[in-house]
Amino acid sequence: MSGRLTSSNKVAVVGYAHSVVQRHNPRPLGALTVDIVREAIADAGLTPAQVDGIVAATLFPSAGSHTVEDGVHTVTTNWLAERLGASPRYVAGFQGVGQVSGSVALAVNAIVSGAADYVVLYRSLHNPRGSYHASSTDAFGGPAQWTAPTGYFGPLAMIALPYNEYLQRYGATREAMAAVLVEARKNGARIPWSYWYGKPLTAEQYLAAPTLTDPICRYDCDIPVDGVAAFVLTSADRAVDGPNRPVYVSGYAHAVPKTNNRLPLHWPLDDIMTAGLDTARRLWESAGVKPGEVDLPQMYDGFSPFVWFWLESLGLCPVGEAHRFVQDGRIDSDRPDALPILSGGGALGNGRMHGIPQMLECYLQLAGRAGDRQRAKATLAVACQSSPHYGGAVVYSVDPF
Amino acid sequence: MTAAGTAGAGTPAAEFPRPVPVPDERSAPFWAAAASHVLTAARCARCRSLAIPPDQVCPHCDATDPEFVFEPVSGRGRIRSWTVVRQSFLPGFNAELPYLLVDVELDEQQELRMIGRLLDGPDSPVRLGTPVRVAFEDLADGVSVPAFVLAGDPDSTGGSDSTGGSDSTGGSDSTGGSDPREGA
Repeated sequence: MSGRLTSSNKVAVVGYAHSVVQRHNPRPLGALTVDIVREAIADAGLTPAQVDGIVAATLFPSAGSHTVEDGVHTVTTNWLAERLGASPRYVAGFQGVGQVSGSVALAVNAIVSGAADYVVLYRSLHNPRGSYHASSTDAFGGPAQWTAPTGYFGPLAMIALPYNEYLQRYGATREAMAAVLVEARKNGARIPWSYWYGKPLTAEQYLAAPTLTDPICRYDCDIPVDGVAAFVLTSADRAVDGPNRPVYVSGYAHAVPKTNNRLPLHWPLDDIMTAGLDTARRLWESAGVKPGEVDLPQMYDGFSPFVWFWLESLGLCPVGEAHRFVQDGRIDSDRPDALPILSGGGALGNGRMHGIPQMLECYLQLAGRAGDRQRAKATLAVACQSSPHYGGAVVYSVDPF
Repeated sequence: MTAAGTAGAGTPAAEFPRPVPVPDERSAPFWAAAASHVLTAARCARCRSLAIPPDQVCPHCDATDPEFVFEPVSGRGRIRSWTVVRQSFLPGFNAELPYLLVDVELDEQQELRMIGRLLDGPDSPVRLGTPVRVAFEDLADGVSVPAFVLAGDPDSTGGSDSTGGSDSTGGSDSTGGSDPREGA
C-alpha cells in the first residue's frame, strides 16, 4: 500500500528561471541551459558551487527522423554537470514519462536522503528544423511493425483514438473543448515569455481550424519550441534562509501503466482512466490531502484531451463529466469562484515545455511571485504531466503542514 | 486511388511506397500468415490467452515462458474507436489521404484490440460497436498488412463493400511457434 510520504513537506522549491519560448532560439540549447540554470541558482540566492545535485529528464519527444545530439537536441545531466561549475554529488536523469514530475521526485528523494543539499532541476526542449514528427522510414521493425505499416503512427493518432472514444461514449463534442483552448491561450497570452504572448484564441478560431487527425486539430496540440526552465530545491530547513518564500513539495505519484497487452502507442480510454484513477489515489495519499482542498490544480495539456482525463482522474469532477465541467466559466481564472486549472497557460498557452508551465504556475502562485496574475488565494496546488496513465503529478503547498 | 482498390494487385501507385513491416523471429509467423490473408493472434501456452503482439512476458498471466503460438482468428470484431487521418507523417500515405483508422476489439477475447485502416473509405458510417471483419492490403510481393471492412450484420458475411479485401476465416495452418526474445 501507499500512504503519506515521509518526505512530505520536507523539501521546497526556492528559486527558478525561465527562458523565452520561441520556435527557434538562435542560441544552442546547451549554452542556453547553462545560462538558465545559473540564473535559477542566483534567483535562489546561491552560487553554482553550492549546488551539489542535478536532475532532469531528457526525452526528445519526436516520432520523426532526427538525430539526437546531447547539448543540441537535448541536454543530459552529465552534459550539464561538466559545464555548470557546480560541485555535484548527485547527478541523475529521470527515464520515464512525466519528465518534470519525475525529476521532482528524484530531487526530493536525493535531498531527504542527504545525497544532495541543493538540487537544480531543469527541462530543455528543442524544436528541430523540418517536420517534427515526419518519418522517412520505409520499413519498420520492432514495436512499430505492428502499427506503422497500416498508417497508425505518431502522437496525433495516439491521442485521437481515446479522445474520440471519449466523445462517443459521453456524447461530448469538439465544441466543448473550445473552452479549454480559450482558457489556456487567454492565460498564455498574458505571460511575457510565452510563444503565444499577446495571442489569445477565440472559440470561433479554434473551431474553424481543420482537423488533422479527427477530432484533433492543430490547436489541440502544443506547438514545438525551443525553451529552458530551471528550479532549485533544497530541504525545508535550508529553504527558509533563502530570498524567496519556499514552496513545499507535499507529495507526488507516478503512473505505472500496463501496456504490454497493447499495440505500441495504443491508449484505450479505459486504460488511461484505470491507471489514472490509481495515480490520483496514490497522489492524494502521498500528500495527505483531498482533491477538494486544492485551489490551484494545473492540468496537463500537451494534447487538449489530457485536461479532461486529468480532471476526472483526480476526482475534480465525475468520470464522463469533464466536458461539461469546463463550460460556463467554471475554469476561468479571472473568476474568483472558478477552479483555475490552466491559469499558467499550460503547454497549449506557452509551447511544448512539457510539465514546466504547470510546475511554474504552482511555484509562482504559491511563492507570491505571479505578478499581475497573482491570485488572492493559492495555498495548495497540483502540477500534472503527461497522460494520467503514463505521467505523474506533484502536490505543492504554501505551508509545511 | 485507395489501397482498397489495389488490394491484391500489388503495390499501390505512389511516389514512395508505403512502409513495410520487418518481421523478426517473434513476429515472422504473423506476417507469414498475413501474406496468405490470414489474421492470427498469439496464444500463450500457459494461460491460453491471446495477445497481439506477443510480449516476452505474457500480459495476462505474467509467464516468462509463454511460448506464444500464432493461430488463426476469425478476423471479426467491433469498433471501439476511430480516427480519420488527414495529414500523414509517413512516406507512401499521401495518396491515401484522408483515411480512416479503426480501433477494433476482436470477437475472440475481451480487450484483444487491433488498429487498422477501414478500407470502405473515410466517410464510412462508423459508430461504437459497428461490426467489422479483417481484410488485407498487399503492399509488395509477399507482404500484406491487416485492415478492416464493414461487416454489416455480424451474422452474415455480406458486407456492402467491394474492396477486394479477402476475409480470413479460412483456417490455414497455424504457422508454428514463436520464440519471444525482445520486449516491445
